[in-house]
Amino acid sequence: MLLVLSEEHKEHLGFLSEVDPAVVGEFGRIAVEFLKKGSNPKIYEGAARKLNVSSESVQHGVEGLMYLLTESSKLMISEVDFQDSVLVLGFSEELNQLLLQLYLENRKEIRQILGKLAPSLPHYHNLEWRLDVQLASRALRHQVKPTVTLKLHLEDGAKRSARVLQTDPATLQHLIHELERALAELKSSHCRRILRNIK
Amino acid sequence: MDRFRFCGDLDCPDWVLAEMSTLARMSSVKMKLLCVQVIKDLLDEGIDYDKVSKLTSDAKFESGDIKASIAVLSFILSSAAKHDVDSDSLSSELQQLGLPKEHTTGLCKSYEDKHSALQEKLREISLRLGRLEAVNWRVDYTLSSSELKQVNEPTVQLKLQAQDPETDSTQTTVVTITADKFRVLLTELKQAQTMMNALQ
Repeated sequence: MLLVLSEEHKEHLGFLSEVDPAVVGEFGRIAVEFLKKGSNPKIYEGAARKLNVSSESVQHGVEGLMYLLTESSKLMISEVDFQDSVLVLGFSEELNQLLLQLYLENRKEIRQILGKLAPSLPHYHNLEWRLDVQLASRALRHQVKPTVTLKLHLEDGAKRSARVLQTDPATLQHLIHELERALAELKSSHCRRILRNIK
Repeated sequence: MDRFRFCGDLDCPDWVLAEMSTLARMSSVKMKLLCVQVIKDLLDEGIDYDKVSKLTSDAKFESGDIKASIAVLSFILSSAAKHDVDSDSLSSELQQLGLPKEHTTGLCKSYEDKHSALQEKLREISLRLGRLEAVNWRVDYTLSSSELKQVNEPTVQLKLQAQDPETDSTQTTVVTITADKFRVLLTELKQAQTMMNALQ
């Protein structure tokens, strides 16, 4: 599928054809760094001074590249489609090749970064447990009541939280049984067929 | 694979088996000293990473090897302590896994020396909910109130500082108790105490 670039986007990227291909290569490297670690506006100023242009043009150029890379990586467009999408910008063949290389080399890592941006539920971090026997309470003496206390540690991005749960051995057995059933479901032929088709 | 006592009567994890050869690359003397460092780490006494790199430099360990050897020694020592394995059984099981005799002897000697301390530490970090951290009390005598001119009643104020089970932060609770209620509380708690003493 082809990428459709907005007029504004084309304008921002248009700046790239006015500079040396080596500079575009450098902008590409900066764009990838920014995608990995966040942007640093000071870089724009430095580059603008060296090239004798406004820092806004540099910013647009770099951000245009960042957007081009993220959209292409997100949609996982083929080499051919990428080249066709970029054709509309009217760049030199050398520049088109440069952009294609930039896309292909960084596509996998950019997709990994994009993968982490999806909303997620808190997930398992650690499970502590304890087995106790209740022998007496204020209301009733001479008991023998086993209980299992669980502390489930969860992680959600940077946030850690914990839930405390308590159960008796019979319910624990049932819980284990249900979880084993869920695991076994992965091995069923129905599930296997679907997984094969996705891969 | 056989069942191993130090693994809780389960199979030995593959990664543990794989790292036996890593450990064997060190001299048995250096490995024993590494055990000492790992035990210090398990007891929260602080591991000296400079010493660790000196100990592993002869065997030309890369950082991955260093991490792996610390991880496998941590596992063996804490798991053996967890399942209360005696030093001789541990020795025979480690040799079954391919750890050379001199290395095994060194490890088991360190284990035996620190066996009780390790178990004490593991007991300490076992799951506890809402640990009581401090109790403070004060006895007041109420003379008068807006409801009744002559109250003349003693009360006790208890300030309990406990750990919140889910957030592990300290929570403070203050309760005020009349003399009668307090008498009941005290009696009940003394009964619980008698029961606890009987169990120890």
